[in-house]
Amino acid sequence: MARLVVLLPAVAAAVGLLAARHLDRRAAHLVAVGGSLLTLLFALLQLVAVHADEPARAVRTLAPLHAGELRIPLELQATGPVALIAAVVAVVTWAVQAFAAWYLRDDDRYGVFAATTSLFSAGMLLTVQSADLVLTLVGWEVMGWCSYLLIGHWTRKESARRAALKAFLVTRLADVGFVLGVVALATHAGSTAYPTVIASYAGDSPTLPMVLLLVGILGKSAMFPFHDWLPDAMEGPTPASALIHAATMVAAGTFVLAQLFDLFAASGPARWLLALSTAVTMVWSALLAFGQSDLKRLLAYSTLSQVALMLSALAAAPAKEGPAAGTLHLYSHAFFKALLFLAIGWLSVTVGGTAAALLRGGQRGHLFIRPAMFVGLLSLAGVPPLVGFVSKEHVLAAAEVGTIDGQVRPGLVLFAGLLTVPLTAAYCMRAWLVLDDLGRTAVTRHDTDTATVGVRWAVGVLTVLTVVGGVIVFTPLLDLRGHVSWWAVLMSLLLVVGAALGVRALSGGEDPAVRLVGASMPRFDTGFGIDRLYLAVVANPVLALARLVVFLDREVVDAYVRGAAISATLGGRGGHRAHATERAASGLAWVVAGVVVVGLAGVALW
Amino acid sequence: MVILASLVVPAAVAVWLLTAGRGLSHRAANLLSMAASVLTLWAVLLAVILRPVVDRAWVPSMGLRWQLAVDGISAPLLLLVAVLGVGVVLHTTDRPPVGGTSPTFHACLLLVELGALATFYARDAVLFFVAFELVLVPMWVLITRFGDPHRAAERADAGGRFVLYTAFGSTLMLVGILALVAQAGTADLDVLAQGAGAGMPVHTQVLVAALLTAGLAVKVPIFPLHTWLPSAHTIAPTAGSVLLAAVLLKMGTYGLVRLPLATLPDGFARVAPVLGALGAVGILWGGLACLVERDLKRLVAYSSVAHMGFVALGLASGTRTGLQAALFANIAHGVISALLFVVVGGLKERWGSADLETARAAVREVAPRLGFALVVGFAASLGLPGLAGFWGEFLAVYAAWSPAENRSTGLFRTLAVLAALGTVLAAAYSLRVLRRVWAGERGTPMIADSRDSEWDVALVLVVATVVLGVLPGPLLSMTSGAVDTIVGAAR
Repeated sequence: MARLVVLLPAVAAAVGLLAARHLDRRAAHLVAVGGSLLTLLFALLQLVAVHADEPARAVRTLAPLHAGELRIPLELQATGPVALIAAVVAVVTWAVQAFAAWYLRDDDRYGVFAATTSLFSAGMLLTVQSADLVLTLVGWEVMGWCSYLLIGHWTRKESARRAALKAFLVTRLADVGFVLGVVALATHAGSTAYPTVIASYAGDSPTLPMVLLLVGILGKSAMFPFHDWLPDAMEGPTPASALIHAATMVAAGTFVLAQLFDLFAASGPARWLLALSTAVTMVWSALLAFGQSDLKRLLAYSTLSQVALMLSALAAAPAKEGPAAGTLHLYSHAFFKALLFLAIGWLSVTVGGTAAALLRGGQRGHLFIRPAMFVGLLSLAGVPPLVGFVSKEHVLAAAEVGTIDGQVRPGLVLFAGLLTVPLTAAYCMRAWLVLDDLGRTAVTRHDTDTATVGVRWAVGVLTVLTVVGGVIVFTPLLDLRGHVSWWAVLMSLLLVVGAALGVRALSGGEDPAVRLVGASMPRFDTGFGIDRLYLAVVANPVLALARLVVFLDREVVDAYVRGAAISATLGGRGGHRAHATERAASGLAWVVAGVVVVGLAGVALW
Repeated sequence: MVILASLVVPAAVAVWLLTAGRGLSHRAANLLSMAASVLTLWAVLLAVILRPVVDRAWVPSMGLRWQLAVDGISAPLLLLVAVLGVGVVLHTTDRPPVGGTSPTFHACLLLVELGALATFYARDAVLFFVAFELVLVPMWVLITRFGDPHRAAERADAGGRFVLYTAFGSTLMLVGILALVAQAGTADLDVLAQGAGAGMPVHTQVLVAALLTAGLAVKVPIFPLHTWLPSAHTIAPTAGSVLLAAVLLKMGTYGLVRLPLATLPDGFARVAPVLGALGAVGILWGGLACLVERDLKRLVAYSSVAHMGFVALGLASGTRTGLQAALFANIAHGVISALLFVVVGGLKERWGSADLETARAAVREVAPRLGFALVVGFAASLGLPGLAGFWGEFLAVYAAWSPAENRSTGLFRTLAVLAALGTVLAAAYSLRVLRRVWAGERGTPMIADSRDSEWDVALVLVVATVVLGVLPGPLLSMTSGAVDTIVGAAR
């Protein structure tokens, strides 16, 4: 089952690519949606099978690789959390494929997009199902490449080309850490299988490898200081954003770290690094989200904040509680974030863009988008009983346990989390006020909405899951050992309601961000110049170094080569000239002199 | 028998094309060469499967023998050469060569193939050297006669540079081989490898290993001996570039495995840190040069320097994983660079130059097939998993992180970090090219998409790139036995 879950989307990608080249878009659509439905079917079967009986720990794929001293068994696994997250990925992928077929109905490269999306999900499913560091790395990098292709899907747009390049290079730079972390872990164990690696560290501190691995995860999850690629990635088509944000790429790091939680929990510095980075990202991007002039970018910043929250659970959770709170938030974020992206993508088709000014009052009168947005934003803000509330409370509870024990790191996470809660509620309220602007007289006409049944199903299913998804905590799939206390719930509820009411009161019929942020909105839009910082600190020095290298290559390394040629030529010419001017007699004199010298030398040495 | 057949067929056809067949038309010469290279491919396939041995006296007074055999290390390289031998002839079908007669061109292609095959078959150090030198002249002809027709001066420069530079390296290697053979009393590579330098004083071992490594490093090429490569690649015709990157460079790394590493392990252990460090510097140097290089063919050539750096690093680590990594990366680079040169050469042919600063139509818009092959090639070049480039480079970094016991862990871990940073540079220059060449909104000037023979060759290489990336197992297990023998003997 695990093998099929990974293989099916990969096959769908290959077939879809062929279909896109040689057949029409209908065939490509059929392959993409059919492939994602089949994958979903097998992911659900796997979930049932894992639930029903004792899980098969290791699933063979290809033959193990003989790479000298290193053993690479290339095995997959099927445990409860793995099967659950695989199912979530499959659901979101199906929804995205169903939506993209309509969203990109006029795009001449829809087929390639659909195939890349299939490959993307294959990469994510491989990362999720993997029980081998190398397979994880393979899935990890395949996702990175697919994100490049999807963000840059509209290659005719300069901004999309730049955003794709930036996303790939920033994550790839961080992946140096991931690769070295994998290498260091494998070196210690002599194998890349998760169980062997974890067992080999019994009693040893895995600090260096885990810090290295974490750097890669911070990059792919777009945590500070790597965070700036994600908002720019909004240049991609909205279905691609939904996929990247909800169930793949940025969320993948949480799951990889959860799988290696035993090692991670044993490495204090790595946990500190994660706590600091997530705390900064969580609060900072929640602040930035509020001031965005484009609602799609608002969602992008909210992803940063939410992914920081799910990762912070791993930084804060006591070792005995395990990583389940982070996994739970990954699960719930996937549903409501996919829902929000698809809803705003749908709306943007009707009103012609995602800028806040354009979208004002845009959802009013729409039978599907309005409830979907309502549920999605409430879940993002963390209002009970929606799925976002359940998982957020578990994350805060995980931090709370450590704080009560008097530890600083969980305390930091809890503090940042409690700051983030009202900020999140504030930007959710702002988004709702913009979208549902009651002061606007003209209601957008939705009669001409051409959305297909597939789109309605996709958004409908995600809405239902966002509402009822919280029941997962009553199943044994996730090993949730934490306990949510009533006073924490009460406090975060008060924060949510207070912040939301405050924003509403301040708005006065306007976009609250315009009133509160006003003239500095462009600075919010550019993320306060982080992009320029990347250029100044990394890109420009590297390019200067490259120019120096080219100069040295030509003028120093190659100078020796040219110098050898030139000196040989000059020597030859000089010899020739000297020879040409000689008269025969002088030549004879030299010979005689030579004979005399040799003779004298012979006599002297004898 | 099959070994001899795979050598005699290209040799005979090439000699005939150069003498009696000089007047042949392009079509006839191409058909004949195609038949010869396909026959050779069959013979090589049989040789790889049957693993026969040829052992005849050659110069009895010096103890030299015609010793030819196939083992796990040479088998993949032989297949690579034979397949690309067919590939370059096929690629020439629609492109009558400019600058000389078609029979000469085909004869040169076959002679390069012959020399490379003989190099990989040879089990006698002197025979190895002779075969190694055999490719020099036909390659020189390909560069200076059939190279870029617009730049006569640069053709002469590139050809001369290529011959003189590599001949200089070969001289060092020859001195090394002669010293080795004189000291050990045999030229049999297998016997030399089993002896593993026993009975030789350590300083002699180090000196000989250094000579051999330096000589072979020119061919690989390893920084700072690489400056012949970009100019040769820029000027050479596409088929020549493919052979140069996929065949000639491999002879250098193969020589490093067979000569210093296998026969003088103790001496090589002293040289290895330098080799590894230069490999890592080459990775960064090549990658950085690619970031600002304006000529697309030169860029691919510099990227070769970076990729061969990984091979050098793997070899230098002294572990079985490192050797496996080097051999895998070697084959992978052969396939990937062949693909890139087919595509880039095709683009240069259509554009009239390979300058990256000139505004042109986006390849994705006007030539989707070429664009697809370009994307696969550069994705493989940046080490994307699922494509051929990943395994060799990942394993090389692993090997550098955990080098053999007699290597300095601190140094090699630093090199591993540098090599890993090199993969970011690879990503940066690959995406730079894709952003400039592949993506964009311009649709003019129109260029023709890839068809017929060119597309067949590119497609085969794309498939090979994907297969090696998805299923690395067969190639790794093909080499593992021989690797165990070599490193086992060294311990």
